[in-house]
Amino acid sequence: MEAVNQQNSATEEDQSSSEYLTFRLGEEEYAIDILKVQEIRGYESPTTIAYAPPFIKGVINLRGIIVPIVDLRIKFGLGTVEYTPFTVVIILNIAQRVIGIVVDSVSDVTSLTGGQIRQAPDFSASFDTKYILGLASIDKRMLIVTDIERLMSSRDMELIDEAAAN
Amino acid sequence: MTIDMSQFYQVFFEETAEHLAAMESLLLGLDVGAPDDESLNAIFRAAHSIKGSSGTFGFTDLADVTHVLENLLDRIRKHELPLRNDMVDAFLAAGDTLKALLSAHQGGDPVDAGTVGEVCAKLKALTSDAPAADAAAAMVPAPVSGQNAAVPPSAGKPCYEIEFVPTLEAAADHQVLPNLLQELSAFGEIDILAQPQPNAPGMWRLRLTTERPQDDFVDIIDFISEQDAWRVKPVAGPVEDAGGAYGLFDAPATESAEDAYGFFEPQVEAAAVTQAEEGDGFGFFEPLPDAAAPAPAAAAGGEEGDGFGFFEPLPVPAAESAPAVTESLAPPAPVSPDAPVVSVAPTAASPAAATPARDSRPKPPAAAGGEAASIRVSVERADQLINLVGELVITQAMLLQCATQMNDAAPEALINGLAQLERNTRGLQEAVMSIRMMPISFVFSRFPRVVRDLSSKLGKQVELKMTGETTELDKGLIERIADPLTHLIRNSLDHGVEMPEKRIAAGKSPTGTITLKAAHQGGNIVIEVGDDGAGLNRQRILAKARERGFQVSDQMPDQEVWALIFEAGFSTAEVVTDVSGRGVGMDVVRRNIQSMGGRIEIESMTGIGTRMTVRLPLTLAILDGMSVAVGEHTYILPLSYVIESLQPEHGDIKTLSNQGRVIQVRGEYLPVVSLQELFRVPGAETDFTRGILIVLDADGTKAALFVDALVGQHQVVIKSLEQNYRRVSGISGATIMGDGRVALILDVSALIESARSTQQAMAAAATA
Repeated sequence: MEAVNQQNSATEEDQSSSEYLTFRLGEEEYAIDILKVQEIRGYESPTTIAYAPPFIKGVINLRGIIVPIVDLRIKFGLGTVEYTPFTVVIILNIAQRVIGIVVDSVSDVTSLTGGQIRQAPDFSASFDTKYILGLASIDKRMLIVTDIERLMSSRDMELIDEAAAN
Repeated sequence: MTIDMSQFYQVFFEETAEHLAAMESLLLGLDVGAPDDESLNAIFRAAHSIKGSSGTFGFTDLADVTHVLENLLDRIRKHELPLRNDMVDAFLAAGDTLKALLSAHQGGDPVDAGTVGEVCAKLKALTSDAPAADAAAAMVPAPVSGQNAAVPPSAGKPCYEIEFVPTLEAAADHQVLPNLLQELSAFGEIDILAQPQPNAPGMWRLRLTTERPQDDFVDIIDFISEQDAWRVKPVAGPVEDAGGAYGLFDAPATESAEDAYGFFEPQVEAAAVTQAEEGDGFGFFEPLPDAAAPAPAAAAGGEEGDGFGFFEPLPVPAAESAPAVTESLAPPAPVSPDAPVVSVAPTAASPAAATPARDSRPKPPAAAGGEAASIRVSVERADQLINLVGELVITQAMLLQCATQMNDAAPEALINGLAQLERNTRGLQEAVMSIRMMPISFVFSRFPRVVRDLSSKLGKQVELKMTGETTELDKGLIERIADPLTHLIRNSLDHGVEMPEKRIAAGKSPTGTITLKAAHQGGNIVIEVGDDGAGLNRQRILAKARERGFQVSDQMPDQEVWALIFEAGFSTAEVVTDVSGRGVGMDVVRRNIQSMGGRIEIESMTGIGTRMTVRLPLTLAILDGMSVAVGEHTYILPLSYVIESLQPEHGDIKTLSNQGRVIQVRGEYLPVVSLQELFRVPGAETDFTRGILIVLDADGTKAALFVDALVGQHQVVIKSLEQNYRRVSGISGATIMGDGRVALILDVSALIESARSTQQAMAAAATA
């Protein structure tokens, strides 16, 4: 950890670590703040909604709450979009809403310190870099640390009414 | 006074609003020539309660106005002054001022001090201008004590009401309680308001008047009572007054109590609890007083019962049960002192004391316990309960489906158990839904005032007849129906009912009648606003519509002509008044009603009158739905829109310019909307002869919806789609089916609208 940190003077913020849930989309590995995660469950076929964009698979009944399901693989064009008994849905609790995201697989829970997260290089205005907090590497893996709350409440996701979104 | 009063403000606001509403409806119901004593007393009590609690909470402006109001009321109810119309007006004006002051305290606009002063001055003038003379002299003390009561609490010694249930050990020990009483009496004067049987467990209620801070004596009580089994409430304002009035026998009562009964104990005092606390307190202590009551009952008997009864009026404004309330209200004042006095000391003194008490404060905001006829529960909690029951219903349906799938393999006990569960959940669901139900009188009660004010302003004579005020509907709807109804009534008054001369000329009674009716009809509530006025003027509406550029023809059926008045910006009033005529309103009325899932219809006959009928679902939480299948999906249609369904034959469906489809049903051409095309559902039936058409009617516009099949009819619990997602056009919500899957509820008005716009687009294209 110190080795990773050598370039930054180890400030307190750098030392404090948070837990991240990591999941795979195709060949890429993403990390999101675990406090935003409500639960992880298997994929069940949702009820489709007319006029919804293709990455919004529909809504499911999560113990009496109607929860929209977003397939991030379709949204980001990553991985193979197929639904098997092993397909995983991460139920997120963000912005007072409950939203499910479909990913290829959930890897593990990792703790990262602020110092481990490096700024991502600027790739022009491509869609997803806006929501990337930074990159972190563990062993040989590169984790894309994502601001999932900002991503999900963004206009791009079409999950929230214009009026409601700020 | 270490308790933070602000936590009770909300309750104070609610209750004061209730008292004001009660007062107003009583005032409007008064026969000025021969006022009914019960009503006068009830009005006085309402004013008095407001004054008392305002004083307690430190809202002196409210207390001041009420005080003046109360003085006049007091003289009237004692027949020192005859009731006159201008007094009623002044009372109503004072009520309005109080409402304004109240809303100012709740964060509303500040109130013009001039208005307040004016109202007070008027009331004072009315109070003094009459033969105040002889008869008054004897009564003078009453208003005087009223003034005392209005003095802010700081003026008198603080008074506390103490309630506690001793621990079993303490109750069993003959020494403990007397010691406690003795200790407390060292702090100040003690009154015992209620006590249990000797040596039996039960609740004690005491009133302690002392200058010492509360912290000094609470420890003593805590010592002999379980944590949470006691409470101390500061009492102020009127309470003070109570303290003063009873002060007479405080000492004797306490002393003799100690002498006569070794078991007397701890105590503290009680006095008036603020009204606010009553609500909460009662729920809490409710069972106890019952247990405690039998003890004093031997001596105080029936009165005791009355005393407790007086909490009832809390939620139910005195207005509604004036006689009953009066009965129970008047005696309580003496009761609380009586109970201890009677059982402890000679009764000789008590009548004397009780009488003044009765006069000056018929409704002491005092005393504790009692069979609370209702409890206040936050809407949130009730809604949470409703949601949970909704879940239960779904779970039950799932289980039932599982069992059905097992066919014969399911053990009989399971089947029976599930049947039982189904009955129970249904009962539970109904019971829970009824929590949110309120009588529509909550809305209706404001209309007599509206009609009275407006008719005198317009110079019309109007009588308002209301029936079915007890009809219940969902609280959420009650709140939202008030504005549209007010609008309809104002409309009837302004446009419907004619001026007296015109009525006489038309051979009608000069007094017009507006009827307001509410009733249940099927799963709906139907509210009618009718008048016996001139009726709608067909020609004028049509002329106006042409002027506004609507497409109309003289052949249009009445129903469609009447519906024109719901268009935005439509008013046929000759003169724009501040009442109506601006043309905003009816469209808003219709929109509001539609947003509640209801609809409005108009019937009118020239010279006979007009009747507007509003139909609303009973609740917003549950819907009677018909489920239809399209492809692999199930959608829910609200049953209220469904008229009929039919299976078309080959050739029944015609096309318009090869795009729009219509079908002739009972002589009408209806646009055909295909749900699978609209929602782009894959794998659905496309051959019209193999599916089914459902004829829908939304606000008089009809359309035929094409679906694969009808599945069934059931009650569904409405879930919000927007909570976690967004609004979807054509969908009004979602629900969970028996198999746990989500089904979307169709927004029929939007569907028909979309069918219409496609048609119009085509028509436009055809003519171009």
